[in-house]
Amino acid sequence: MDKRKIKETFLGGVIKNNPTFVLVLGTCPTIAMTTSLFQAFAMGVATTFVLIFSNLFVSLLRNVIPDKVRIPCYIVIISTFVTIVQMVMQKFLPELYSTMQAFIALIVVNCIILARAESFASCNRPLYSVLDGVSMGIGFTAALCLIGIVREFFAAGSFAGMEIPGFPAMDSVGASAFGFIVFGCLMALFNFVIRKLDERKEKMKKSVLPLSEGRAETLEEVAK
Amino acid sequence: MNREKAISMTKCVLVLAIIALCSGLLLGAFHIITYVDPLQSAYDRFAEDTGEAFSSMRDEDGKDYGNGRVVYYAVSDDGQTHAFLAEGDGGFKGSVRLYVYVKDGAIFKIVVGDHSETYMDRLEAADYYANFIGKDISSLDALAADAVSGATKSSTAVRNAVNAVVQYYKEGNGQEVQTEMLRGDFAAGGECNG
Repeated sequence: MDKRKIKETFLGGVIKNNPTFVLVLGTCPTIAMTTSLFQAFAMGVATTFVLIFSNLFVSLLRNVIPDKVRIPCYIVIISTFVTIVQMVMQKFLPELYSTMQAFIALIVVNCIILARAESFASCNRPLYSVLDGVSMGIGFTAALCLIGIVREFFAAGSFAGMEIPGFPAMDSVGASAFGFIVFGCLMALFNFVIRKLDERKEKMKKSVLPLSEGRAETLEEVAK
Repeated sequence: MNREKAISMTKCVLVLAIIALCSGLLLGAFHIITYVDPLQSAYDRFAEDTGEAFSSMRDEDGKDYGNGRVVYYAVSDDGQTHAFLAEGDGGFKGSVRLYVYVKDGAIFKIVVGDHSETYMDRLEAADYYANFIGKDISSLDALAADAVSGATKSSTAVRNAVNAVVQYYKEGNGQEVQTEMLRGDFAAGGECNG
Protein backbone atom coordinates (compact mmCIF):
# COMPACT_ATOMS: atom_id res chain seq x y z
CA MET A 1 0.00 0.00 0.00
CA ASP A 2 1.33 3.35 -1.04
CA LYS A 3 0.49 5.84 1.72
CA ARG A 4 1.19 8.81 -0.53
CA LYS A 5 -1.17 7.53 -3.21
CA ILE A 6 -3.87 6.90 -0.60
CA LYS A 7 -3.51 10.47 0.66
CA GLU A 8 -3.50 11.89 -2.86
CA THR A 9 -6.53 9.82 -3.89
CA PHE A 10 -8.49 10.83 -0.82
CA LEU A 11 -7.71 14.54 -0.86
CA GLY A 12 -7.98 14.67 -4.66
CA GLY A 13 -11.72 14.03 -4.74
CA VAL A 14 -12.54 16.32 -1.85
CA ILE A 15 -10.42 19.35 -2.77
CA LYS A 16 -8.09 19.27 -5.76
CA ASN A 17 -10.44 17.43 -8.15
CA ASN A 18 -13.73 18.28 -6.46
CA PRO A 19 -16.35 16.91 -8.90
CA THR A 20 -18.68 19.90 -8.56
CA PHE A 21 -16.47 22.95 -8.16
CA VAL A 22 -13.34 21.89 -10.08
CA LEU A 23 -14.34 19.19 -12.59
CA VAL A 24 -17.86 20.68 -13.00
CA LEU A 25 -19.45 17.23 -13.33
CA GLY A 26 -23.02 16.30 -12.36
CA THR A 27 -24.35 19.83 -12.80
CA CYS A 28 -27.93 18.65 -13.39
CA PRO A 29 -28.52 17.23 -9.87
CA THR A 30 -26.40 20.05 -8.45
CA ILE A 31 -28.91 22.64 -9.61
CA ALA A 32 -32.06 20.56 -9.25
CA MET A 33 -31.48 18.96 -5.88
CA THR A 34 -30.06 21.84 -3.86
CA THR A 35 -33.25 23.71 -3.02
CA SER A 36 -32.90 22.51 0.56
CA LEU A 37 -30.06 21.18 2.69
CA PHE A 38 -31.82 17.90 3.47
CA GLN A 39 -32.52 17.11 -0.19
CA ALA A 40 -28.94 18.03 -1.16
CA PHE A 41 -27.54 15.77 1.56
CA ALA A 42 -29.79 12.85 0.54
CA MET A 43 -28.76 13.23 -3.10
CA GLY A 44 -25.09 13.34 -2.09
CA VAL A 45 -25.37 10.20 0.04
CA ALA A 46 -27.22 8.30 -2.71
CA THR A 47 -24.57 9.27 -5.28
CA THR A 48 -21.75 8.37 -2.87
CA PHE A 49 -23.22 4.89 -2.34
CA VAL A 50 -23.44 4.28 -6.09
CA LEU A 51 -19.95 5.73 -6.65
CA ILE A 52 -18.30 3.48 -4.05
CA PHE A 53 -19.90 0.27 -5.22
CA SER A 54 -19.65 0.93 -8.94
CA ASN A 55 -15.96 1.83 -8.53
CA LEU A 56 -15.37 -1.33 -6.49
CA PHE A 57 -17.01 -3.66 -9.00
CA VAL A 58 -15.52 -1.97 -12.06
CA SER A 59 -12.10 -2.29 -10.45
CA LEU A 60 -12.63 -5.93 -9.50
CA LEU A 61 -13.74 -6.79 -13.03
CA ARG A 62 -11.25 -4.56 -14.86
CA ASN A 63 -9.21 -7.51 -16.15
CA VAL A 64 -12.28 -9.48 -17.19
CA ILE A 65 -14.30 -6.82 -19.03
CA PRO A 66 -13.26 -6.58 -22.71
CA ASP A 67 -12.55 -3.05 -23.94
CA LYS A 68 -15.22 -3.21 -26.62
CA VAL A 69 -18.09 -3.69 -24.16
CA ARG A 70 -16.73 -1.77 -21.21
CA ILE A 71 -19.28 1.07 -21.34
CA PRO A 72 -22.36 -1.26 -21.45
CA CYS A 73 -20.81 -3.27 -18.60
CA TYR A 74 -20.24 -0.11 -16.52
CA ILE A 75 -23.79 1.04 -17.19
CA VAL A 76 -25.20 -2.34 -16.07
CA ILE A 77 -23.15 -2.19 -12.86
CA ILE A 78 -24.07 1.45 -12.15
CA SER A 79 -27.78 0.97 -12.88
CA THR A 80 -27.86 -2.07 -10.55
CA PHE A 81 -26.71 0.06 -7.62
CA VAL A 82 -28.99 2.94 -8.57
CA THR A 83 -31.95 0.54 -8.58
CA ILE A 84 -30.88 -0.75 -5.15
CA VAL A 85 -30.81 2.86 -3.86
CA GLN A 86 -34.30 3.40 -5.33
CA MET A 87 -35.67 0.24 -3.69
CA VAL A 88 -34.19 1.08 -0.29
CA MET A 89 -35.41 4.70 -0.41
CA GLN A 90 -38.87 3.64 -1.53
CA LYS A 91 -39.13 1.26 1.41
CA PHE A 92 -37.57 3.33 4.19
CA LEU A 93 -37.87 6.97 3.04
CA PRO A 94 -41.01 7.03 0.84
CA GLU A 95 -41.73 10.76 1.25
CA LEU A 96 -38.21 11.82 0.38
CA TYR A 97 -38.18 9.36 -2.50
CA SER A 98 -41.38 10.78 -3.98
CA THR A 99 -39.77 14.23 -4.25
CA MET A 100 -36.41 12.97 -5.58
CA GLN A 101 -37.66 10.07 -7.73
CA ALA A 102 -36.66 11.46 -11.14
CA PHE A 103 -33.19 12.54 -10.08
CA ILE A 104 -32.37 9.32 -8.25
CA ALA A 105 -33.02 7.41 -11.50
CA LEU A 106 -30.81 9.90 -13.35
CA ILE A 107 -27.78 8.94 -11.21
CA VAL A 108 -27.28 6.17 -13.80
CA VAL A 109 -26.13 8.77 -16.33
CA ASN A 110 -24.38 11.02 -13.82
CA CYS A 111 -21.05 12.03 -15.38
CA ILE A 112 -19.16 11.74 -12.08
CA ILE A 113 -19.88 8.03 -11.75
CA LEU A 114 -19.16 7.09 -15.35
CA ALA A 115 -16.08 9.33 -15.43
CA ARG A 116 -14.60 7.76 -12.29
CA ALA A 117 -15.35 4.24 -13.53
CA GLU A 118 -13.72 4.96 -16.87
CA SER A 119 -10.77 7.08 -15.79
CA PHE A 120 -9.91 5.71 -12.35
CA ALA A 121 -11.53 2.42 -11.35
CA SER A 122 -10.81 0.70 -14.67
CA CYS A 123 -7.04 1.09 -14.17
CA ASN A 124 -6.59 1.00 -10.38
CA ARG A 125 -6.75 -1.59 -7.61
CA PRO A 126 -10.06 -2.04 -5.70
CA LEU A 127 -8.80 -0.36 -2.52
CA TYR A 128 -7.82 2.84 -4.32
CA SER A 129 -11.01 2.74 -6.37
CA VAL A 130 -13.17 2.52 -3.24
CA LEU A 131 -11.17 5.33 -1.69
CA ASP A 132 -11.66 7.40 -4.83
CA GLY A 133 -15.39 6.72 -4.63
CA VAL A 134 -15.48 7.80 -0.98
CA SER A 135 -13.50 10.98 -1.60
CA MET A 136 -15.45 11.94 -4.73
CA GLY A 137 -18.68 11.21 -2.87
CA ILE A 138 -17.65 13.35 0.09
CA GLY A 139 -16.57 16.15 -2.26
CA PHE A 140 -19.86 15.98 -4.16
CA THR A 141 -22.00 15.80 -1.00
CA ALA A 142 -20.11 18.67 0.65
CA ALA A 143 -20.48 20.85 -2.45
CA LEU A 144 -24.20 20.06 -2.72
CA CYS A 145 -24.75 20.77 0.97
CA LEU A 146 -22.89 24.09 0.72
CA ILE A 147 -25.04 25.20 -2.21
CA GLY A 148 -28.13 23.82 -0.44
CA ILE A 149 -27.42 25.85 2.73
CA VAL A 150 -27.02 29.12 0.78
CA ARG A 151 -30.02 28.51 -1.47
CA GLU A 152 -32.30 27.43 1.35
CA PHE A 153 -31.24 30.42 3.44
CA PHE A 154 -31.97 32.99 0.75
CA ALA A 155 -34.82 31.30 -1.13
CA ALA A 156 -36.87 29.87 1.74
CA GLY A 157 -35.50 31.86 4.67
CA SER A 158 -34.66 28.74 6.65
CA PHE A 159 -31.78 26.51 7.69
CA ALA A 160 -32.24 22.72 7.45
CA GLY A 161 -36.02 23.18 7.53
CA MET A 162 -35.97 25.50 10.58
CA GLU A 163 -37.47 28.86 9.69
CA ILE A 164 -35.53 32.00 10.43
CA PRO A 165 -38.10 34.50 11.72
CA GLY A 166 -38.38 37.77 9.85
CA PHE A 167 -36.34 36.64 6.85
CA PRO A 168 -38.19 37.23 3.56
CA ALA A 169 -38.53 34.22 1.23
CA MET A 170 -38.02 34.52 -2.54
CA ASP A 171 -40.69 33.52 -5.03
CA SER A 172 -40.17 30.15 -6.71
CA VAL A 173 -39.08 31.52 -10.12
CA GLY A 174 -36.39 33.71 -8.56
CA ALA A 175 -35.30 30.82 -6.34
CA SER A 176 -34.66 28.54 -9.37
CA ALA A 177 -32.55 31.13 -11.19
CA PHE A 178 -30.74 31.90 -7.96
CA GLY A 179 -29.40 28.31 -7.99
CA PHE A 180 -27.14 29.07 -10.96
CA ILE A 181 -25.88 32.28 -9.36
CA VAL A 182 -25.04 30.51 -6.08
CA PHE A 183 -23.35 27.66 -7.97
CA GLY A 184 -21.20 30.09 -9.98
CA CYS A 185 -20.26 32.25 -6.99
CA LEU A 186 -19.30 29.27 -4.81
CA MET A 187 -17.31 27.73 -7.66
CA ALA A 188 -15.35 30.97 -8.12
CA LEU A 189 -14.77 31.28 -4.38
CA PHE A 190 -13.65 27.64 -4.06
CA ASN A 191 -11.18 27.91 -6.95
CA PHE A 192 -9.86 31.24 -5.65
CA VAL A 193 -9.16 29.76 -2.21
CA ILE A 194 -7.55 26.64 -3.70
CA ARG A 195 -5.31 28.74 -5.97
CA LYS A 196 -4.25 30.97 -3.09
CA LEU A 197 -3.44 27.93 -0.95
CA ASP A 198 -1.45 26.39 -3.80
CA GLU A 199 0.53 29.60 -4.31
CA ARG A 200 1.28 29.79 -0.60
CA LYS A 201 2.38 26.17 -0.59
CA GLU A 202 4.60 26.79 -3.60
CA LYS A 203 6.21 29.80 -1.95
CA MET A 204 6.92 27.84 1.20
CA LYS A 205 8.42 25.03 -0.87
CA LYS A 206 10.73 27.46 -2.66
CA SER A 207 11.83 29.08 0.54
CA VAL A 208 13.11 25.77 1.93
CA LEU A 209 14.88 24.73 -1.29
CA PRO A 210 18.70 24.51 -1.23
CA LEU A 211 20.33 27.75 -2.43
CA SER A 212 21.60 26.32 -5.75
CA GLU A 213 18.21 24.88 -6.80
CA GLY A 214 16.40 27.96 -5.60
CA ARG A 215 18.72 30.11 -7.69
CA ALA A 216 18.14 27.90 -10.70
CA GLU A 217 14.36 28.35 -10.38
CA THR A 218 14.73 32.09 -10.01
CA LEU A 219 16.84 32.15 -13.17
CA GLU A 220 14.16 30.15 -14.98
CA GLU A 221 11.53 32.65 -13.92
CA VAL A 222 13.68 35.53 -15.15
CA ALA A 223 14.19 33.76 -18.49
CA LYS A 224 10.42 33.41 -18.86
CA MET B 1 -8.45 -14.12 -38.13
CA ASN B 2 -12.19 -14.83 -38.31
CA ARG B 3 -11.87 -17.36 -35.53
CA GLU B 4 -10.14 -14.79 -33.33
CA LYS B 5 -12.87 -12.29 -34.04
CA ALA B 6 -15.55 -14.86 -33.21
CA ILE B 7 -13.81 -15.75 -29.94
CA SER B 8 -13.51 -12.07 -29.02
CA MET B 9 -17.18 -11.45 -29.79
CA THR B 10 -18.27 -14.50 -27.81
CA LYS B 11 -16.19 -13.31 -24.87
CA CYS B 12 -17.81 -9.86 -25.02
CA VAL B 13 -21.32 -11.30 -25.10
CA LEU B 14 -20.54 -13.81 -22.37
CA VAL B 15 -19.06 -11.22 -20.01
CA LEU B 16 -21.95 -8.85 -20.56
CA ALA B 17 -24.47 -11.66 -20.04
CA ILE B 18 -22.80 -12.84 -16.82
CA ILE B 19 -22.67 -9.30 -15.42
CA ALA B 20 -26.35 -8.76 -16.33
CA LEU B 21 -27.29 -12.10 -14.73
CA CYS B 22 -25.44 -11.31 -11.49
CA SER B 23 -27.03 -7.89 -11.48
CA GLY B 24 -30.48 -9.44 -11.91
CA LEU B 25 -29.88 -11.87 -9.05
CA LEU B 26 -28.71 -9.05 -6.75
CA LEU B 27 -31.74 -6.93 -7.64
CA GLY B 28 -34.03 -9.91 -7.09
CA ALA B 29 -32.62 -10.39 -3.60
CA PHE B 30 -33.08 -6.69 -2.81
CA HIS B 31 -36.60 -6.78 -4.19
CA ILE B 32 -37.51 -9.52 -1.73
CA ILE B 33 -36.02 -7.52 1.16
CA THR B 34 -37.58 -4.18 0.26
CA TYR B 35 -40.93 -5.23 -1.23
CA VAL B 36 -43.80 -3.05 -0.05
CA ASP B 37 -47.24 -4.66 -0.25
CA PRO B 38 -49.52 -1.88 -1.60
CA LEU B 39 -52.53 -3.25 0.29
CA GLN B 40 -50.69 -3.41 3.60
CA SER B 41 -49.24 0.03 2.95
CA ALA B 42 -52.79 1.39 2.44
CA TYR B 43 -53.98 -0.25 5.72
CA ASP B 44 -51.07 1.30 7.59
CA ARG B 45 -51.75 4.71 6.10
CA PHE B 46 -55.48 4.58 6.90
CA ALA B 47 -54.74 3.64 10.49
CA GLU B 48 -52.00 6.27 10.81
CA ASP B 49 -54.13 9.10 9.41
CA THR B 50 -57.31 8.36 11.37
CA GLY B 51 -55.99 6.67 14.51
CA GLU B 52 -58.56 3.92 14.02
CA ALA B 53 -58.24 0.20 13.27
CA PHE B 54 -58.88 -1.18 9.80
CA SER B 55 -58.86 -4.97 9.66
CA SER B 56 -60.19 -5.59 6.14
CA MET B 57 -60.73 -3.85 2.82
CA ARG B 58 -64.29 -3.45 1.60
CA ASP B 59 -63.17 -3.08 -1.99
CA GLU B 60 -59.76 -4.18 -3.19
CA ASP B 61 -60.58 -3.86 -6.91
CA GLY B 62 -61.76 -0.25 -6.84
CA LYS B 63 -63.76 1.50 -9.53
CA ASP B 64 -62.79 3.67 -12.48
CA TYR B 65 -64.61 6.92 -13.28
CA GLY B 66 -62.64 8.05 -16.34
CA ASN B 67 -60.38 10.79 -15.03
CA GLY B 68 -60.34 9.46 -11.51
CA ARG B 69 -60.67 6.18 -9.71
CA VAL B 70 -61.08 4.63 -6.29
CA VAL B 71 -58.19 2.23 -5.75
CA TYR B 72 -59.05 0.87 -2.30
CA TYR B 73 -61.95 1.37 0.02
CA ALA B 74 -62.10 0.35 3.66
CA VAL B 75 -64.33 0.94 6.66
CA SER B 76 -62.94 1.22 10.17
CA ASP B 77 -63.73 -1.59 12.58
CA ASP B 78 -66.27 0.60 14.43
CA GLY B 79 -68.01 1.33 11.11
CA GLN B 80 -67.78 5.10 11.52
CA THR B 81 -64.92 6.07 9.22
CA HIS B 82 -64.80 5.38 5.48
CA ALA B 83 -61.28 5.45 4.07
CA PHE B 84 -60.54 5.75 0.36
CA LEU B 85 -57.35 5.63 -1.62
CA ALA B 86 -58.23 7.54 -4.79
CA GLU B 87 -56.26 8.50 -7.88
CA GLY B 88 -56.86 11.51 -10.13
CA ASP B 89 -55.51 12.01 -13.66
CA GLY B 90 -54.63 15.26 -15.36
CA GLY B 91 -51.70 16.34 -13.20
CA PHE B 92 -48.64 18.09 -14.60
CA LYS B 93 -46.52 14.96 -14.27
CA GLY B 94 -49.12 12.20 -14.21
CA SER B 95 -51.66 11.13 -11.66
CA VAL B 96 -52.02 12.13 -8.01
CA ARG B 97 -53.04 9.75 -5.23
CA LEU B 98 -55.11 10.95 -2.30
CA TYR B 99 -56.23 9.39 0.95
CA VAL B 100 -59.78 10.63 1.54
CA TYR B 101 -61.63 10.02 4.81
CA VAL B 102 -65.40 10.30 5.20
CA LYS B 103 -67.36 10.38 8.46
CA ASP B 104 -71.04 11.18 9.05
CA GLY B 105 -71.60 11.81 5.35
CA ALA B 106 -68.84 14.42 4.99
CA ILE B 107 -65.18 14.37 4.02
CA PHE B 108 -63.21 15.20 7.16
CA LYS B 109 -59.63 14.65 6.03
CA ILE B 110 -57.61 14.56 2.80
CA VAL B 111 -53.99 13.43 2.80
CA VAL B 112 -51.83 13.63 -0.33
CA GLY B 113 -50.24 10.31 -1.33
CA ASP B 114 -47.88 9.40 -4.19
CA HIS B 115 -47.41 11.99 -6.91
CA SER B 116 -44.72 13.57 -9.07
CA GLU B 117 -46.14 17.09 -9.07
CA THR B 118 -43.89 20.08 -8.53
CA TYR B 119 -46.39 22.54 -7.10
CA MET B 120 -48.58 20.41 -4.80
CA ASP B 121 -47.62 22.61 -1.85
CA ARG B 122 -49.38 25.54 -3.55
CA LEU B 123 -52.71 23.75 -3.07
CA GLU B 124 -52.08 23.56 0.65
CA ALA B 125 -51.04 27.23 0.70
CA ALA B 126 -54.21 28.24 -1.21
CA ASP B 127 -56.36 26.18 1.20
CA TYR B 128 -57.68 24.25 -1.81
CA TYR B 129 -58.80 21.24 0.23
CA ALA B 130 -61.31 23.47 2.08
CA ASN B 131 -63.45 23.16 -1.08
CA PHE B 132 -64.10 19.53 -0.10
CA ILE B 133 -63.48 19.13 3.63
CA GLY B 134 -66.55 19.45 5.85
CA LYS B 135 -68.96 19.57 2.90
CA ASP B 136 -71.93 17.22 2.75
CA ILE B 137 -70.82 14.53 0.32
CA SER B 138 -74.33 13.91 -1.09
CA SER B 139 -74.52 17.47 -2.45
CA LEU B 140 -70.81 17.98 -3.15
CA ASP B 141 -69.74 18.74 -6.73
CA ALA B 142 -65.97 18.28 -6.58
CA LEU B 143 -65.45 19.26 -10.21
CA ALA B 144 -66.90 22.73 -9.55
CA ALA B 145 -63.98 23.72 -7.31
CA ASP B 146 -61.87 26.50 -8.89
CA ALA B 147 -58.29 25.53 -9.80
CA VAL B 148 -55.40 27.15 -7.97
CA SER B 149 -53.46 29.63 -10.09
CA GLY B 150 -49.94 28.33 -10.81
CA ALA B 151 -50.93 24.74 -10.01
CA THR B 152 -53.90 24.29 -12.36
CA LYS B 153 -53.05 20.76 -13.46
CA SER B 154 -52.31 19.56 -9.93
CA SER B 155 -55.67 21.03 -8.79
CA THR B 156 -57.39 19.20 -11.66
CA ALA B 157 -55.84 15.87 -10.61
CA VAL B 158 -56.90 16.42 -6.99
CA ARG B 159 -60.39 17.45 -8.11
CA ASN B 160 -60.70 14.27 -10.24
CA ALA B 161 -59.59 12.05 -7.35
CA VAL B 162 -62.07 13.62 -4.92
CA ASN B 163 -64.80 13.42 -7.57
CA ALA B 164 -64.17 9.66 -7.91
CA VAL B 165 -64.67 9.27 -4.15
CA VAL B 166 -67.85 11.38 -4.25
CA GLN B 167 -69.25 9.36 -7.19
CA TYR B 168 -68.39 6.09 -5.47
CA TYR B 169 -70.06 7.22 -2.26
CA LYS B 170 -73.12 8.61 -4.05
CA GLU B 171 -73.58 5.36 -5.97
CA GLY B 172 -74.31 3.89 -2.60
CA ASN B 173 -71.15 1.89 -2.09
CA GLY B 174 -70.25 3.78 1.07
CA GLN B 175 -73.82 4.15 2.32
CA GLU B 176 -74.54 0.48 1.72
CA VAL B 177 -71.80 -0.39 4.12
CA GLN B 178 -73.24 1.94 6.74
CA THR B 179 -76.66 0.32 6.32
CA GLU B 180 -75.08 -3.13 6.50
CA MET B 181 -73.29 -2.15 9.67
CA LEU B 182 -76.55 -0.83 11.19
CA ARG B 183 -78.36 -4.01 10.17
CA GLY B 184 -75.57 -6.01 11.73
CA ASP B 185 -75.84 -4.01 14.95
CA PHE B 186 -79.60 -4.40 14.96
CA ALA B 187 -79.35 -8.12 14.32
CA ALA B 188 -76.79 -8.46 17.07
CA GLY B 189 -79.07 -6.46 19.39
CA GLY B 190 -82.02 -8.65 18.43
CA GLU B 191 -80.15 -11.80 19.26
CA CYS B 192 -79.24 -10.38 22.61
CA ASN B 193 -82.80 -9.44 23.34
CA GLY B 194 -84.08 -12.77 22.17
